[in-house]
Amino acid sequence: MSEGDERGSTGTNSIETAPSRIDADPGQRVLRALTEAFPETVSDGAQVKPRFIRARVDRSDLYSVCRSLKDHHGFEHLTMISAVEYDDGFEVVYHITSHQAGLLLELITSAPKTDPTVDSISSIWGGANWQERESYDLMGVVFRNHPKLERILLPKDVLYHPLRKDFRG
Amino acid sequence: MAEMWINMGPQHPMTHGLWNLRVKVDGETIVDAEPEVGYLHRGIEKICEGLTYPQIIPIADRLCYGSSFTWSHLYCLTAEDLMDVEVPERAEYIRVMAIEMQRIASHLMWLAAYAGDLGLSVGFTNAMRDREVFIDLLQGLAGSRLTYNYPRIGGVAHDLPPNFERDALRTVRYMEQRLKEYEDLFDNSKIFMMRNVGIGILRKEDGIDLGVTGPSLRASGASYDLRKDMPYSVYPEIDFNVATHKDGDCYARYRVRMDEMWECCSIIRQALKKMPKGKWRVVAPRNAPASTGLGRVEDPRGEAVMYVVGDGSDKPYRLKIRSPIFVTLSAAPKILVGYKLADVVVIMGGLDMCLGENDR
Repeated sequence: MSEGDERGSTGTNSIETAPSRIDADPGQRVLRALTEAFPETVSDGAQVKPRFIRARVDRSDLYSVCRSLKDHHGFEHLTMISAVEYDDGFEVVYHITSHQAGLLLELITSAPKTDPTVDSISSIWGGANWQERESYDLMGVVFRNHPKLERILLPKDVLYHPLRKDFRG
Repeated sequence: MAEMWINMGPQHPMTHGLWNLRVKVDGETIVDAEPEVGYLHRGIEKICEGLTYPQIIPIADRLCYGSSFTWSHLYCLTAEDLMDVEVPERAEYIRVMAIEMQRIASHLMWLAAYAGDLGLSVGFTNAMRDREVFIDLLQGLAGSRLTYNYPRIGGVAHDLPPNFERDALRTVRYMEQRLKEYEDLFDNSKIFMMRNVGIGILRKEDGIDLGVTGPSLRASGASYDLRKDMPYSVYPEIDFNVATHKDGDCYARYRVRMDEMWECCSIIRQALKKMPKGKWRVVAPRNAPASTGLGRVEDPRGEAVMYVVGDGSDKPYRLKIRSPIFVTLSAAPKILVGYKLADVVVIMGGLDMCLGENDR
């Protein structure tokens, strides 16, 4: 990764310029299947490293992309959900693992500051439940259709989200 | 019989750290459970945003005092991924060796606490004493007893001390004898077996769905181990087996950890043997590029991940820490429901709780 690359679209081996042995590589195969199934919303598919791919998804299609990842591409384990605040909005980064293929996918979705809402995926991977609560607690990202979106690390009566950049302890 | 909620905690005799487990019981049977965490929340992710990259290493140590080396190592891996730093091979071998020593120390502390929970004081005192042997070894390597501050971005702080290899091999040989004794002690104990076999069963499918990782998942029959599946550092060069068990109960979790300690001994031997001479550190840049970095390691408790966002300055813009036990704990209600109240200590003890990394 070099300094000048734009965040989210790094990596030299983007999907358009991939070599002809595209089917041999599981990462390229998943990226191609995703962009074919969701041409409107999945973008910036890239192979960052061997066995590590990255894609962006519009938040309107997040749930169906995740559903298809679990049901059709063997991504059985949700590793991590991270929420990051930038100047122009929030990014929620999902790291999803397929142990069978030995593949890690970094799925990035974004939400504006005025409406930091994304769909909950805790009905797809149960492990997302607490991690979404944590992101809500510390960063204030709201996960729609979450079964119990409450604070988890901080007390329930706290009024702020401490990981936001405008928070001053 | 009427159902009622019981608060177990926040002060426990059974775990080091504060957390509250609310269990709903019908007579003696658990019908629902709800962990409450956050008592040890120190805001480490926020603290890190105000520190320079090298200053975070000792903070990362404080995530879990039981396995601090893995956390500072994970942080260095993440920062190296962000800054694109190539680590000398000798440093990689030193790290792998030290991580495996830390894994044994962590598992021994778990074994001691677990034996204490079950009322086996002999197990407690013996395991604590043998943990101290590895703590001494790591103290000789790094200089401090629990929080080592030894890895650096781009290598390790200094080379091995004189005679370290001899001491390490001697310790490993000692540990292998002791492990046999532990297996005799625990597997032949009727009380230990009665309280473990068939208690706290976690199905493989549930474990994967709920994000459980580490020994707790491997005890359910899934051989997921990042050291094998997505190797980092020099693990591809090292020959070892992933310990699994098919039963998924508390005894299986005990068995997996014991087998892992055998594997750790073998990994330490191989790492010492294959360790090349040469440099142990390269100079890392002060500022990180505006990019992202990711590190994943197999912690003694499961899959530990860090995700760092750099903005071109000498401080991270955002550092996210995935604690394995935080996600495992969310599966606790699934494991607990249906068992008796007296089994709570065994089941939760068998997950190897560490509240420092859980609450961050």
